[in-house]
Amino acid sequence: MSNVRQISVFLDNRPNQLKGVMAILKNGGINIRALSVADTKDFGILRMIVNDTEKAVDVLKDASYAVAVTEILAISIPDAPGQLSRVLDILGSENVNIEYLYAFTGASDKAVSFVIRVDDNENAANALTRGGIIQLTENDIAEM
Amino acid sequence: MERYWNEEIECMSREDMKKLQDERLVAQVKHVYENVKYYRDLMDEKGVKPEDIKGTDDLHKLPFLSKADLREAYPYGLLAKPLSDCVRIQSTSGTTGKRVVAFYTQNDVDMWEDCVARAITAAGGTDEDVCHVAYGYGLFTGGAGLHGGSHKVGCLTLPMSSGNTERQITFMRDLGSTILCCTPSYAAYIGETVHEMGLTPDDLKLKAGIFGAEPWTEEMRRSIEKSLGIKAYDIYGLTEISGPGVAFECSEQSGMHINEDNFIAEIINPDTGEVLPEGEVGELVFTSITKEAFPLIRYRTRDLCVLSRKKCSCGRTLVKMAKPMGRSDDMMIIRGVNVFPSQIETVLIEQGYSPNYLIEVDRKNNTDTLDISVEMNPDQFSDKVKDMQDQEKALAVAIKTMLGINPKVHLVSPKSITRSEGKAVRVIDKRKLIDNPAK
Ligand SMILES: [Zn+2]
Repeated sequence: MSNVRQISVFLDNRPNQLKGVMAILKNGGINIRALSVADTKDFGILRMIVNDTEKAVDVLKDASYAVAVTEILAISIPDAPGQLSRVLDILGSENVNIEYLYAFTGASDKAVSFVIRVDDNENAANALTRGGIIQLTENDIAEM
Repeated sequence: MERYWNEEIECMSREDMKKLQDERLVAQVKHVYENVKYYRDLMDEKGVKPEDIKGTDDLHKLPFLSKADLREAYPYGLLAKPLSDCVRIQSTSGTTGKRVVAFYTQNDVDMWEDCVARAITAAGGTDEDVCHVAYGYGLFTGGAGLHGGSHKVGCLTLPMSSGNTERQITFMRDLGSTILCCTPSYAAYIGETVHEMGLTPDDLKLKAGIFGAEPWTEEMRRSIEKSLGIKAYDIYGLTEISGPGVAFECSEQSGMHINEDNFIAEIINPDTGEVLPEGEVGELVFTSITKEAFPLIRYRTRDLCVLSRKKCSCGRTLVKMAKPMGRSDDMMIIRGVNVFPSQIETVLIEQGYSPNYLIEVDRKNNTDTLDISVEMNPDQFSDKVKDMQDQEKALAVAIKTMLGINPKVHLVSPKSITRSEGKAVRVIDKRKLIDNPAK
């Protein structure tokens, strides 16, 4: 089992916040592999997987952003009807609670990748393995 | 061993002090009546003559002066000496309305600096110290006051003024500053910057700080003391009366001794003007009994506080004023409740937040709204929206417990609220923008 590290960044409810983060990452020569933004009325949380987690954290912290690193699961499933629902069934049957998930583009157009944030990574990873779901490593994602 | 700058005055018996005040007040009222038409008119209107004032017991017979009077009499209306006798002008920072200008003769400057020298001495300062003055210089009394007092004591004085924080810290390190003088919010910022530069208090020689010109809390004191490795002393003053040094803190750190030989303090009911007995909370009123050029009598400070004559362990007999609970200027009335920014600040620090916040008050659908933006600590950030919302709610509940009204709390990124190098802007009251055009 190899969990993938995700970087989250707090975004203030002001214009150009996302743009600011992107500029910092670009200057740091960092590539983004997966990205999603959770928006509330008050603030946003940017979540992403990058090719160089340590460096991304450093450059963002230097710019005074609130940054968190969390381990998440990343999976790759066939781009076909019912596939995601099968994953949710597997996790549901193990009582794994999903905090959030988002899709990202993988290397192949026959498959689609998802980031899944759960409350119990180990339990969820084992269940997915038993269910035959392909889990991606940080390396897999970096090489995409 | 407690050190005094002027032991005779600072430890004078109450009787002797009252006698001194009686004499000085009688002379001052006469001086003002003869030389300041504005105040003479107020006295005449009230039917009080200088002869009616035989001592401090008669003080209550005299009319008050307020900031409105100072604006009305701007610029020369309260001047009691010819301009040729004046050597200095200072002015309030004037965030609202017309500025207030105050005039000083050389004696006035000497008296003011002498008051500050007492404060520096009470903070442990001697001619061996390096006094780092990071108050703003210029019309603001902070820089000039501490600078002059530091010279009097014989400290090596660094006239840094505020701003360019990294340079401030470099000077502190290279020249061994031992006493830091600035606003408490700037001291907190310097403390943050020291740590950001990878330094610790051990890299500096600071031992004491003298902080004033804006309200600050006990929690903020402890946090500054820790971040700079110093003992932090409060100093009080206002330009109208002279400047910083009207009152100062001693080693007991439990209130500020008022320099009673120069300033008589009263506490009044702000609504009725009635003088309140010792120990009651009310508006602080000062009478300058030695100032020559700009002698204000019964000047209403708008600061709410309490006086105490309890014996102080430092040996000084000068009456003590508690840290003002707020300025009635700062006091906001939100949904009928009196709210001071200092109350909110206390909660923030108790809950482990930085004292960097912004209060916005507005009125929507005829209801006052209170929005508080607070910088989060980097380690409290979570990738889960709900965690962040829960933290906002928990802080809102703590503030509601303190104030009795529900605020909306907004966590914002670390260091996203503008830092101040002078007086911090903590409150934006948008209701004023709405109310005014309607009138
Ligand atoms: Zn004392």
